[in-house]
Amino acid sequence: MPSLGSFLLLSAFVTCSYAAVVSVVGARRRSRPLIESGIGAFYLICALMIAATAVLINAFLTGDYSIKYVAHYSDSVQPLFYKITSYWGGLDGSIMFWVFLLSIFGSLAVYVNRERHRELIPYVIATISTVQMFFLYLMVAHKNPFTTFLTAAPADGEGLNPLLQNFYMAIHPPSLYTGFVGMTIPFAFGVAALITGHLDDSWLRAVRRWTMFSWLFLSFGLTLGMIWAYEELGWGGYWAWDPVENAGLLPWFTATAFLHSVMVQERRSMLRVWNVTLVIMTFFLTIFGTFMTRSGVVQSVHAFGDDPILAKLFTGFMVAILAFSFGLVIYRLPLLKARNELDSWMSREAAFMVNNWVLLFAALFVLFATMFPTLSEAITGHRLTVAAPFFNKWMVPIGFVLLFLTGVGPLLAWRKSTLSNLRDSFLFPVGLALVTAAGLAALGVRVWSSGLCFAMSAMVVGTIGQEFWRGGNIRRKNTGTDIFTAIIGLVGRNKRRYGGYIVHLGIVSIFLGFAGNGFKRDEQVLLKPGEQATIGRYSIRNDGLKVSDDGQKQMTMAYLSIFENGKQIDTMYPAKWAFRKHEQEPTTEVAIRRTFAEDLYIVLAFQPSDLATQTATLTIVLNPLVNWIWLGFGIMALGTGIALLPERAYSFALASLPAEAATTTVALLFAVLVSGGTVLSAQAGMGPGPAGQNIQSSYYARNDFERKMQHEIVCTCGACGHATIAECRKDPCATSHEMRAQLAALIDQGKTHDEIIQAFITKYGGEEMLGAPIDKGFSRLAWLFPYLMGATGAVAVGFAAVRWTRKPEGPATAAPLDPALEERIDDELRDLD
Amino acid sequence: MTHRYIKIGATASVLVLAFVGLLWTTLAEGTEYYKHVDEVMSSPRDWQGKRLQLHGFVVTNSILRKRDSLDYKFKVQNKGTVVDATYNGVVPDTFKDTPGTESEVVLKGQLTPDGFKVDRDGVMAKCPSKYQPKSAATGL
Repeated sequence: MPSLGSFLLLSAFVTCSYAAVVSVVGARRRSRPLIESGIGAFYLICALMIAATAVLINAFLTGDYSIKYVAHYSDSVQPLFYKITSYWGGLDGSIMFWVFLLSIFGSLAVYVNRERHRELIPYVIATISTVQMFFLYLMVAHKNPFTTFLTAAPADGEGLNPLLQNFYMAIHPPSLYTGFVGMTIPFAFGVAALITGHLDDSWLRAVRRWTMFSWLFLSFGLTLGMIWAYEELGWGGYWAWDPVENAGLLPWFTATAFLHSVMVQERRSMLRVWNVTLVIMTFFLTIFGTFMTRSGVVQSVHAFGDDPILAKLFTGFMVAILAFSFGLVIYRLPLLKARNELDSWMSREAAFMVNNWVLLFAALFVLFATMFPTLSEAITGHRLTVAAPFFNKWMVPIGFVLLFLTGVGPLLAWRKSTLSNLRDSFLFPVGLALVTAAGLAALGVRVWSSGLCFAMSAMVVGTIGQEFWRGGNIRRKNTGTDIFTAIIGLVGRNKRRYGGYIVHLGIVSIFLGFAGNGFKRDEQVLLKPGEQATIGRYSIRNDGLKVSDDGQKQMTMAYLSIFENGKQIDTMYPAKWAFRKHEQEPTTEVAIRRTFAEDLYIVLAFQPSDLATQTATLTIVLNPLVNWIWLGFGIMALGTGIALLPERAYSFALASLPAEAATTTVALLFAVLVSGGTVLSAQAGMGPGPAGQNIQSSYYARNDFERKMQHEIVCTCGACGHATIAECRKDPCATSHEMRAQLAALIDQGKTHDEIIQAFITKYGGEEMLGAPIDKGFSRLAWLFPYLMGATGAVAVGFAAVRWTRKPEGPATAAPLDPALEERIDDELRDLD
Repeated sequence: MTHRYIKIGATASVLVLAFVGLLWTTLAEGTEYYKHVDEVMSSPRDWQGKRLQLHGFVVTNSILRKRDSLDYKFKVQNKGTVVDATYNGVVPDTFKDTPGTESEVVLKGQLTPDGFKVDRDGVMAKCPSKYQPKSAATGL
């Protein structure tokens, strides 16, 4: 099998070189058969990479430890899911995964555009194939994931790093890679356009969606990385300006800039050189980011270690990219001339340009600061490091400028805004910002930086609200429907614009989360059994430590009771896990109590000597507003989804949908989202249910012993996802009610802890009702639940809408609105633009 | 045309100057020297009061902890040069001094005449992971 894998990689390499050469030759000779052959070879690469991936995953699943990579990154006791994710757990596999994704995306992009952009395709194939060749060469010559042991193979593997055995860490790399790899497609189209000289806006149309799609995954990957750092590393924060994080952020900045400036080119035929440059930069930064983290040039938490050969290869490749692509840009400068000039600084294109400069500046700054230790060592001989405060000092103002532009940009008209329309459009948002600022000042919130952030967020929300309101109103008058239907129709008519506004709302939510960080509090305490520590509104009492073992790892858990205003509201179980094969690196299992206002975040630091004294050493952090960041990403994903939605699906559905149906759709979507939200908040505020008047005898624990017992026994009703009977109070959970009653009865009989447990085991058969307190994996999944619900709901609604409105005969797309009306709406909408 | 270029040139140079100036001032307070124990202790006077990231290895059986507190005292060495360090706070899991597993640490803080005073959250122990040879995986 390993030799089959190596062979597949080698043939992929050969096929790549064939595809690249034959495409270029075919394009130059205008030979259709040669070009077709290149396309075929390109699809073949994809097939080969899928086969190679299958071989590697098969090796992981069957535990073929004769392959070094498999032996290093997996073992036999690992759960199935993590066996598969071990594929990208190490350097060799992650390079292979990269090529695998690129071959799939490349084939998709070629397949979709092969007719519409026929003249570009050969060069797109040549470019992507060359990039693939580079990575395949890395594997074949230097980092082959199929390398086997020359001597006897080990009987079992060494196991994936425990830190990576985490749900978020398993899906974070694929998402980030999807974003990274996706950026290759716009680059390939850009290069193809430069080579062929077809530099009108058609190549932009081909890549706009790709960029948006990749941008979404890049954002998702970054968010997952933050959640992972927050939940798994246990230092109380989510972003540390670590080089690996920065590597993902760099292309995100330039891609964001591109998504904005592309509109200027479409609208005003300006910034053509700039757009090509941004595409090239974005691609370059994805490669640079990979280089930075994989070659040991900078030091980082999860860098893969020094590798001078890799560093040299990457350096060569990067120089080649820069020289080649900017050479092309300079060669094509005459064709890239702008057709228009900037009319006024009070125009939307000017706002976009400033936004672009700031984003680019942010990228360059982060790049500089990340490389600073390496640079300073090379220049002065002293290794100087810069820490998070330095980044924050710069990035906070940069963030403010961007947030400000988010609020201002949509209010400015294209070309030139007149004074009267400035007054007209700025009045409400600025007013809202001022009111918020005054309110905050009255409450005594610091002006810099959180207060400013809140005020500007208010302005952006005001701007977006006003845009929706005004657009909706005009459409309502023209179509004679209610405002909801009108707004939905509005979004449908210009999905990219209004989808973009929704993305901006997500950004605001994320900024609120960042602002909350300014109010963060943390404390480190040492608690003996029964002792309490107080932070903010909460008091935390140590109820003792407990050790358990599940075969794969040893778990030390602290039992903590959380009080608010003297009343117990929750119990939390921060823990340390020591995996058998990685005993020197215990993992931290943070306990987090989530609410929309703040997270109570507790980390257990454990030393064996603590067990005898039952002393808990805790880091307690209060993280205000942190959940707004994750929520903001959800909103962003929704907005991007709307912008990405195929034109056909939406306009089709809307055009022939009766007015009421649109309202129903909104109501439905709302219902789905809100129900998702309730799940979230129910999960966030998990604790005793509402203190009703009719407290049943078994509802609450009467003493500490009973409470403790309730937390050790799991409800068997099956609907609550194995909550303990202390927590499963969802009406009408008769099962937990009954179980609590049984427990109360046993306690009344004076039974001891062990006797009660035994009684339950006998009654319910097996130990499944014993609570390993809170199944973390599950509660994490549960957290994703609302988003999944939301997404599924949106998709379902969309599908249903399309189905209902599908016309029986062919592609008749006659608009049901009469043409005159259509034209008028168009006119009015244009005025709004 | 020349007039326009002068304007662009002037704007650009003002911006660049402002940028460099800001960078210079913020860098001055934001940076820390990254040094090994022996480099610093060869001329301790020069380094007192400067912000340092000190790289070294925990000396075997040198970690002392005050009973019922988070006060630590330990020794760090590199190439035979030793320095005393004091710290208050939670230490990472990989911070160890038992023979054979002495951790490689990076300490943030300042050198004083009485030894090295580590900042809050300033102890970073590198992972002893055999899967990341030579890498600077700092256990957070």
